[in-house]
Amino acid sequence: MREKATTLYIGPQHPGITGNMMVRVKVEGDTIVKATTEVGYLHRAFEKLIEQRNWLQSFTLLCRFCVPEPDPVEESYARAVEELEGREVPERAKYIRVMVLELARIASYMLWYGGQAGSLGLYTVGQWSVGDRNYILDLFEELTGGRVYHMYIWPGGVRRDMPEGFEEKVLKTMDYLEKRLDDYDDLMFENSIFKKRTKGIGIIDKAKAIEWGVVGPPLRGCGIKHDVRIDDPYEVYDKLDFVVPTHEGGDIWSRAQVRRQEIRQSIRIVRQVIDKIPGGDFYNKIPNPQKWALPKGDAYARTEAVRGEVGMYVSSDGGTHPRRAHFRGAAYVHAITLLEDLLVGENLADISAIMNSLGTCPPEIER
Amino acid sequence: MKEIKKTVIEKITTHFKEVTAQQHDGNRVDFFIGKEEIPAILFFLKDEMGYNHLSHIACVDWLEEKEFEIVYIVWSYTDKIKIFVHTRVERENPVMDNVDMIWRQANTYEREMKEMYGIEFTGLEAPEEFLLEDWEGPPPMRRDFDTEAYAREKFWERPGREDARDVRETIIERTGEELPDFAKKYKR
Repeated sequence: MREKATTLYIGPQHPGITGNMMVRVKVEGDTIVKATTEVGYLHRAFEKLIEQRNWLQSFTLLCRFCVPEPDPVEESYARAVEELEGREVPERAKYIRVMVLELARIASYMLWYGGQAGSLGLYTVGQWSVGDRNYILDLFEELTGGRVYHMYIWPGGVRRDMPEGFEEKVLKTMDYLEKRLDDYDDLMFENSIFKKRTKGIGIIDKAKAIEWGVVGPPLRGCGIKHDVRIDDPYEVYDKLDFVVPTHEGGDIWSRAQVRRQEIRQSIRIVRQVIDKIPGGDFYNKIPNPQKWALPKGDAYARTEAVRGEVGMYVSSDGGTHPRRAHFRGAAYVHAITLLEDLLVGENLADISAIMNSLGTCPPEIER
Repeated sequence: MKEIKKTVIEKITTHFKEVTAQQHDGNRVDFFIGKEEIPAILFFLKDEMGYNHLSHIACVDWLEEKEFEIVYIVWSYTDKIKIFVHTRVERENPVMDNVDMIWRQANTYEREMKEMYGIEFTGLEAPEEFLLEDWEGPPPMRRDFDTEAYAREKFWERPGREDARDVRETIIERTGEELPDFAKKYKR
């Protein structure tokens, strides 16, 4: 006898959903036969508001595009504006930007540790990792003045130089975190529940991955080695030595393995930045922002965030305000067309584990 | 890099007659083409030339020129070049061909453009609303849509808050300071 299909609404307020969105699933027993992503719960018309502000004022909105990792959005916008204007960025600022981006990557992965493990019922991991993330937020507070939203990377460089003795603090935090990663390996990756619930779940088809627009750790979790930092190097990534980890399989386990190795690479990059950072200016001053008109044209800058490639398209009509600023988030593809496809045939209980493994970030979809 | 850019431009200009190419610094090439040719050029870029990653689709409202500009940005993992394909569509009753049979994620972009700019995509399978629910107003991302005027017309002040006012007015009253020139246009 065929079981009767039932429609369930997961979200928009649900502990397993990463933010305010809903997945409407049709289930037969415990198996999902159809999934639809429903968004629209937190649209804040940021892109409309940006059009009504001058080029610099948008930064208060940009960092709110994605709460766990706001820096790549700021960086891509700043770089697109610089490309449009042809503004040079001092070398020191580029190094500081890379350091901020990598620290943000580690902080965001720490949050992901908690989300991914929490979605499988392993709550201790989240309590540890959110505590450890605070050490990075402390660094951000000292450097930028803000713990979560920084508004630190801006056109022409960064907002202020590193405070005295900051390098030592960064290195000390990196040493601490590197030791901590072994504890996470024992607690999470050696855990048999984690292995059982992630291996073979939510498999992305390797042959279709690029065509489907999969980017970032989900793509590298299919064994495909693509990373914007290597393919289309920005800032000073071409001068730094790091490995882009990949893992065969395409399931949640592979994506987790990629992220696990990427944290170590990020620590490696931060150490190199501290080692190689040159002196000099950190900011190529822009004119009065109220009168700062950019030449007519458009630009698109891509940055590798934890969720994958993010990009910012800006268009200028030659005025003091952007004609259009359009953000491309990785979740825009991952959480809609890809997620709807991946969920079919999976167990109802795996929805939040799959969502977390894709790094779904609803504010990035709606903006 | 220069060699690859040259080959790309040559290939596209020989296959498509009505196309204008433009070179940029770095790894960027721009093509300007009529809207009827969009599915063909994107198919060609993806299947024949390996530009298989759809990075972005952006829409810009050029209100004064009575046109929308739609920009498709594609990336090749082998050539390591990003190609911008620009097209223009009239603002009155805009209709475009949909391209979600080439990249299915284009469907999401097109659904958003349909709601936010009112562009119709022929053959687009999007029965459901995307971001806007029960929206009856004009497409909100169009330049002539005034967010504040719409909000004032649609919503009303909460009773008991009639005396609520701009915080800057209070500051001016208390300190006797002048409002800076640039802030005056934001004054209620």
